Amino acid sequence: MIRTRTSAQFSAALLLSLGLTQAQKVETVTIGVAVAQTSNTALLGQEQVIGARFAEKFLNGRGGINGTPFKLAFQDTGGDEAGAINAFQNLITKDRVVGIVGPTLSQQAFASDPIAERAKVPVLGPSNTAKGIPQIGDFIARVSAPVAVVAPNAVRQALKLDPKIKEVAVLYAQNDAFSTSETGTFQQTVKDQGLTLSTVQRFQTTDTDFTTQVQAVLNAKVDLVIISGLAADGGNLVKQLRQLGYKGLIIGGNGLNTSNMFPVCQKLCDGVIIAQAYSPAQASAANQVFVKEYRAQYKKDPPQFAAQAYAGVQVMVEALKALDRKKKLNTYDLDDLRVALNKQILAGKYNTPLGTISFDKEGELIQKEFYVAQIKMRDAKNGSFVYLK
Amino acid sequence: MEFSQFVQNLLNGLAIGSVYAIFALGYTLVFSILGIINFAHGAVFTLGAYFTYTLVVGEFSNNGLLKGVALFPDGSPLSGNPLTFALATLLGAAGAGLIAVLIERLAFRPMRSRGADPLLALVSSLGVALVIVNLIQLLVGAEIYNFPSDAYGETPPALSFTLGGKIVIIRTVQVIIFAVSLVMLAVLGYVIGRTKIGKALRAVAENPTTASLLGISVDRFIVITFFLSGFVGGLAGTLVGTAFGVAGPYFGVTYGLKGLAVIVLGGLGSIPGAVLGGLVIGLAEAFVPAEYSAYKDAVAFALLFVILLVRPQGLLGRAAIQKV
Repeated sequence: MIRTRTSAQFSAALLLSLGLTQAQKVETVTIGVAVAQTSNTALLGQEQVIGARFAEKFLNGRGGINGTPFKLAFQDTGGDEAGAINAFQNLITKDRVVGIVGPTLSQQAFASDPIAERAKVPVLGPSNTAKGIPQIGDFIARVSAPVAVVAPNAVRQALKLDPKIKEVAVLYAQNDAFSTSETGTFQQTVKDQGLTLSTVQRFQTTDTDFTTQVQAVLNAKVDLVIISGLAADGGNLVKQLRQLGYKGLIIGGNGLNTSNMFPVCQKLCDGVIIAQAYSPAQASAANQVFVKEYRAQYKKDPPQFAAQAYAGVQVMVEALKALDRKKKLNTYDLDDLRVALNKQILAGKYNTPLGTISFDKEGELIQKEFYVAQIKMRDAKNGSFVYLK
Repeated sequence: MEFSQFVQNLLNGLAIGSVYAIFALGYTLVFSILGIINFAHGAVFTLGAYFTYTLVVGEFSNNGLLKGVALFPDGSPLSGNPLTFALATLLGAAGAGLIAVLIERLAFRPMRSRGADPLLALVSSLGVALVIVNLIQLLVGAEIYNFPSDAYGETPPALSFTLGGKIVIIRTVQVIIFAVSLVMLAVLGYVIGRTKIGKALRAVAENPTTASLLGISVDRFIVITFFLSGFVGGLAGTLVGTAFGVAGPYFGVTYGLKGLAVIVLGGLGSIPGAVLGGLVIGLAEAFVPAEYSAYKDAVAFALLFVILLVRPQGLLGRAAIQKV
């Protein structure tokens, strides 16, 4: 045994010393998932882990890749760029994945996606909504709709609910790249709709006390408040706005599109309008099966971040299935399979919980349906996003 | 600035400043006895809030090793009204105090017994802080946990009036925070200034060797100091959590940094200094104009910088005497 291992190691060393790479056939198909399981971003990343694990269990239960189960390899990116780079490197070289779903944040993607691009490993961003993500390279695509497409729907919907809206306050987390990008879209939409931008207030995602901002909003006597932030700070802001007497409509951006907000603002979340790239109410069979199974397991509706991570894994699996039908996956070398998988991902059309999706040649998501929901709280803890037509 | 805004800022600043003050007292107590900064104090603050949450709710969400656990399927006996919540708060703070004692045993005492440089103890406490924060995340995930609405966070505003056409509102929870902080400061002031324990603590702080020769068990009083420090830190954590929610395992990081600013501003090791420093920083933050409020942390630290340029020993600190 020892001799066998030694000789294998010797052969590998010899190949490496000669500058040759050992071509290896793909025995087990492993898909990498690099999301934030720790750090401040973990609130989103942990939902993505649930979505990806759910996909692994559910899709393998339905036959995996044409009868062969696939495996997910998880790497924690933490909340920073260095963590994302490290996770990508580990997945590519150590776990030898065929493709990667990740990372959680757009600013992490700008740092780590070029690593995958150089290694020719396909990447599907599950929650990277900033401008310019698919343009990082040929191997980079995303299953998360860009914020500029999603956000304006919410303002239009608020105007339908209350056509008298005139004065608007916009609040955003200035230390979060996504929120600063999203608020630009919201502010432009406010102007485009002929509304008055009465006050713009900034905060930090780490803030807990929003008394100053709320006071400014109350004194501006606005009819609509638009918040771009994340679940913790955004939820707290909603709570404090209501506690201090703001009675008008509130719109939350994509960062507030998670049931993790419910325990923060509790009953005071009621009525908040959220623009969504995903809705549990989406009627497709793919989504309804996903929602039913998810509810059975977690006793709540799947949040958008879980649905997008699920969709990321599903797209990879379906592309692998399509490839396998043409040529058995275990006959591919890993490098060839990665390149073929990237081509197949971009070529396919997928019935996911997000609806039917596909990609343009750059890897930008083509998604037909977007949603606007309003939060309805049943009690202090439980609520749901009710789809507004 | 309009008068209504001035009044509002003043009241907001006093409420948050009083939390900073009692939180910073924990730092000050340890510093005055051991001459070191306990960097794990921010993590103890976080733990206090989580302990109270566990006592009044005891349900953990979808992530972490405790996911799905419900300690009280029929509802916690400590939930339901403000009085039982107050009891849970004290128990939570006591739990944080016990953790602080454990930190002393694991991170500080071994260093002290070997006569290590105080800087090493500082690094070791930083390590403990990171371990605690990550442990919380491992156990209960990164979710936000909120106290039930009967824990006086959701009560109607205590005061609401109009001044010059602008609204001034004081949340009930702000009044409670201010009142609890005042009571806590008075109790601590009494314990340290008037009781035998306080005298012994001051003796240990002044000169541990002499205190030991006088029959005072230095180790015992260090343990008491850490317990008190953890208790006030944990209490501050629950107070902030009640007002704004427990925003995940990293909840105490900002408060930890701000607490440092408070004690440096007030004067290292000075208890009245910690109170004054807390109030000054709270008020400075509250008076940052609304459109720049995202920069309020920078304003607080800039104020610290300016004051230290003028008075390096802090507002109430004593200048170091150089022996020649």
